[in-house]
Amino acid sequence: MSALELRDVVVRIPSDDERPARTILEVPSLRLDEPRIGVLGANGSGKSTLLRLLNGLQEPSSGTVTVHGRDTRREGRAVRAEVGFVFTDPLSQLVMPTGREDLELSLRRTVPRKERRTRAEEILRRFGLLHLADQSVYELSGGERQLMALASVLAVEPRVLVLDEPSTLLDLRNRELLRRTLSGLPQQIVLATHDLELVLDMERVLVVEDARVVFDGGAEAAVAHYRRLCLAERA
Amino acid sequence: MSTARYPLGDYVPGESWLHRAPLGVKFLGVLLLGLGTFWLKSWGASVAVLALMVLLFASARLGARRLLRLLAGPAPLLLAVLVFQWWQLGPAQAVSIVANVYACIVAASLLTLTTPVPALLDGVVSAARPLKRIGVDPERLALVIAITLRSIPYLIGTFSAVRDAARARGLERNPRARAMPVLIASVAYAQRTGDALAARGLGDAVTPENPTRDRTAS
Repeated sequence: MSALELRDVVVRIPSDDERPARTILEVPSLRLDEPRIGVLGANGSGKSTLLRLLNGLQEPSSGTVTVHGRDTRREGRAVRAEVGFVFTDPLSQLVMPTGREDLELSLRRTVPRKERRTRAEEILRRFGLLHLADQSVYELSGGERQLMALASVLAVEPRVLVLDEPSTLLDLRNRELLRRTLSGLPQQIVLATHDLELVLDMERVLVVEDARVVFDGGAEAAVAHYRRLCLAERA
Repeated sequence: MSTARYPLGDYVPGESWLHRAPLGVKFLGVLLLGLGTFWLKSWGASVAVLALMVLLFASARLGARRLLRLLAGPAPLLLAVLVFQWWQLGPAQAVSIVANVYACIVAASLLTLTTPVPALLDGVVSAARPLKRIGVDPERLALVIAITLRSIPYLIGTFSAVRDAARARGLERNPRARAMPVLIASVAYAQRTGDALAARGLGDAVTPENPTRDRTAS
């Protein structure tokens, strides 16, 4: 059984008053088994749609997406328990006033009430965030917020971690911190990014262009392909 | 985005008697005060209740600055209400209405400032459990309340950022330039929050096709 599998997947947006119906992603067949997978692509190319399919946030218009054999459409809840999703903007992701409260929220479904606080503290300590546990999420730096969001997602121990441009809002120091943290995680990682350095850490990289996967291979070759695509567009 | 903060939804750690008071008692107090203000018609009684709330605030050692921020937040709106009611009903009624609203705000803040959000969620889930019979999901209800509290500082921050942007473009007197971006940003925030909750499986309905892996009832 493949970890993540897409079969004959098409995602369409129906027509409205201003625009006709259009396809925003088309993937005939894709199996993702490698522990570290990167996704490159321009804005609007379809890479975020591809990521959202893996967590069931986006349902395919046709075709199937399975995660460890579970259909994202029929077993969405179980899939979301297995696939953690980290967004670009951690402020959208952190839905509680402080990091500790957000972690406790993540643990509500899986950990009995009396153990939540201790478990939340263990996770915060592991990420070096315990000293920020009771600070408002508004008062954290960009990197601290992103790590807090990551800790909240990892609190429920997903088997797969999907990250949609997690380093876009970070400065160089925080980007490096995120990079080091990700490299030490046991989860399978699927990561969309514009950060070409970060993508070089991946074992397999997909390049998405005009709603299709146009390249699938090693990181260096993928970056070269992506550069050629971008430069060809400019020319 | 401005990080302007309104203190209604923020828990302040502490050891005061209000921090230690049971959630049910605090909630009942807020409820009774809220209902009681409907019967308060004399401006003197309303101001006395507001003063009592301020004393309770001080006794919980929540800080004078925090109280001022709490009162200053809705001040422009309540000033407009005061002027309008003064014109419509006279000064006594106008002062009574505004003092009642302020008393309710301070009372609600006493509950949220002295109760950690997880404890508030647990309390709402326990209190709403009987509503399961009529199809209400207590977990979802608690989540709605928590998200509402979390959204207050964000929306106030959005309002400040939009006001600054309008000022920078010389449009501070244009209500459309101030209202529309706030509305759009609020809807976008709601969508992002919804996405984040869905991605974390929070608020998902439990169905035979979507079984839970819950190990706890609360």
